[in-house]
Amino acid sequence: MNVVFKEFMKFLIKRPLYFAGFIIVLIFIVVGSIAPYILTKPEDAWGLTYDLDKAFKPPSPEHLFGTDALGRDMLNRVILGSRYSLLIALSVVLLSLAIGVIVGLVSGYIGGAVGTVLMRITDMFLAYPPLLLAIALATVLGRGVVTTIIALATTWWPWYARLMYITVNSVKSAPYVEAAKVIGLSRWAIMTRYIVPNSLTPVITQAMLDIGSAILEAASLSFLGVGVPPPIPEWGRLISEGWQYIGRAYWISLFPGLTLLITVVGFNLFGDAVKEYLNPRLRNVAQVRI
Amino acid sequence: MPISKEYIIKRIIMLFLVVLGVLIIAFIITRVIPARPELLWVGPRATIEQIERARKELHLDEPIYVQLYYYLKDFFSGNWGISWRTRQPILSDIFTYLPATLELTITAFLLAFVLGVVLGIIAAVNYGKLIDRVISVFSIVIASTPVFWLGLMLQLVFSIWFKVLPSGMRISTEVAIATGFKPITNFYILDALIQLNIQALIDILKHMVLPVAVLMMYPLGLTIRTTRSLAIESLQEVYVKALQVWGLPRRLILYKYVLKNVVAPVVAALGLSFGYTITGALMVELVFVYPGIGYYIGMALLSFDYPAILGGIIFVAIIYSLTNLVVDIIHAWIDPRVKF
Repeated sequence: MNVVFKEFMKFLIKRPLYFAGFIIVLIFIVVGSIAPYILTKPEDAWGLTYDLDKAFKPPSPEHLFGTDALGRDMLNRVILGSRYSLLIALSVVLLSLAIGVIVGLVSGYIGGAVGTVLMRITDMFLAYPPLLLAIALATVLGRGVVTTIIALATTWWPWYARLMYITVNSVKSAPYVEAAKVIGLSRWAIMTRYIVPNSLTPVITQAMLDIGSAILEAASLSFLGVGVPPPIPEWGRLISEGWQYIGRAYWISLFPGLTLLITVVGFNLFGDAVKEYLNPRLRNVAQVRI
Repeated sequence: MPISKEYIIKRIIMLFLVVLGVLIIAFIITRVIPARPELLWVGPRATIEQIERARKELHLDEPIYVQLYYYLKDFFSGNWGISWRTRQPILSDIFTYLPATLELTITAFLLAFVLGVVLGIIAAVNYGKLIDRVISVFSIVIASTPVFWLGLMLQLVFSIWFKVLPSGMRISTEVAIATGFKPITNFYILDALIQLNIQALIDILKHMVLPVAVLMMYPLGLTIRTTRSLAIESLQEVYVKALQVWGLPRRLILYKYVLKNVVAPVVAALGLSFGYTITGALMVELVFVYPGIGYYIGMALLSFDYPAILGGIIFVAIIYSLTNLVVDIIHAWIDPRVKF
């Protein structure tokens, strides 16, 4: 593991963009984890107090990101917001990954009637454009951090199920699986020892690539008013709070959006880096000259 | 390249099954998950009689499969319920709002396709050079931008600060009155052209600039990335090297041979990104107060108008499935190797 990590670091350092992505992801995860302990004005961040005298203050050394309509420091709110984005995005991706891997494995390896039914259900979910079904579900479930996670995960797993299904199907007919069958290993042993370890890479890579999208979709739900409820300073919500004051106090929307953008770019770059690292065919493209 | 009739028939049957799936999921979300589905149907200020009537209309006293039967029957006979907000049948509302969205998304898509292929090829040809890096970073950034935020920011800069582009609605009221513009088909560009109303046309196009710019970002980023990686791959193919050795002009190799390999997969990728674009339209139209389906669903969301939200979402899902069908057929037509 240590060797792989060192190799990966070497790979990253040679590619400044990917390295930048890695640093952004690192900062986001660290800040998100310790957010409540580094706030300078926790009562502003949690939205417990308000001070109308300080409302709509533009960015200044005292309030780097300005203040909102209720005089709360935006920087503190954005910092605390990272915690919710991190929590929601990771939960959504991990939950979907767990469901997707199991469904894909069952329908790909065990197959039969159960497998067919599972794949048809997956297809039904995939018929919806992304986010749209999550909006419908979030509307019915009501606002909240947990319901946002449920709404997104429910609509997210089919992508992993499909990918896992395709991978398992191709691994299933590999010579080493045939060999394992010939020497008389049980189906369960073949599945746990050969199929699962050899099918996980594509789906995990995809999950890495998707964290950015998960952050973005959670923010979209909150922006539309069906995600995280006030006063939680989720980034999408902060942007929508600034919406009505856009001409008067642009910073209320600007900074949460900018932070969101940089974070998502970071995750997308990092996801690309992992993908390229794991796929040597992409790594060494010969110089193209034409 | 002709496509077999069987293929198209098979795909249409599949489309029907997909729509059925979409409806069943929507049924589960609205009728099975909520404890009292009738409350979602009638709105917050309903009387007890209205709630009772809704229970009957939705057949909530009957077993679940009977409910599903009536639900599907209502759907296919066009009875999608009444919006609380507009007090109109939802299906007729949707058809009023649809042309605006189509106008917006089609324009965004065409622009994204053309620009994306050009930028992707430029990046591939200059692989590893500065221009390639700039284009690649640009494509990643625009595909990661929250559309609603970008919409707000562009509005701030171009409509509020510099006042060069209008935002809100599809045509300025003054222009519509002054030039006597009348919507006929509700496709405003087409309407202005039919009436030979150049002044109105310019105003309509001005209203489209910002929403289209925001909406095209995701498909543009995707097209650039797909084109770039495919072009890099095909530039390394043996036959391309052979063409170079033969001394064919660079331009000819690029446009005749490389582009051919790129277009089919890019069309397929664009088809996939249509899903993101249509949900993007939801937020873009809301931010720009552009009265299309997205705006309709967005307003329904803000006023908890459940029948309208679900009707809108089901409709968009069906449009999405239809687009997928069309894209697959185009894909099979461009690339004869595709077999399903």
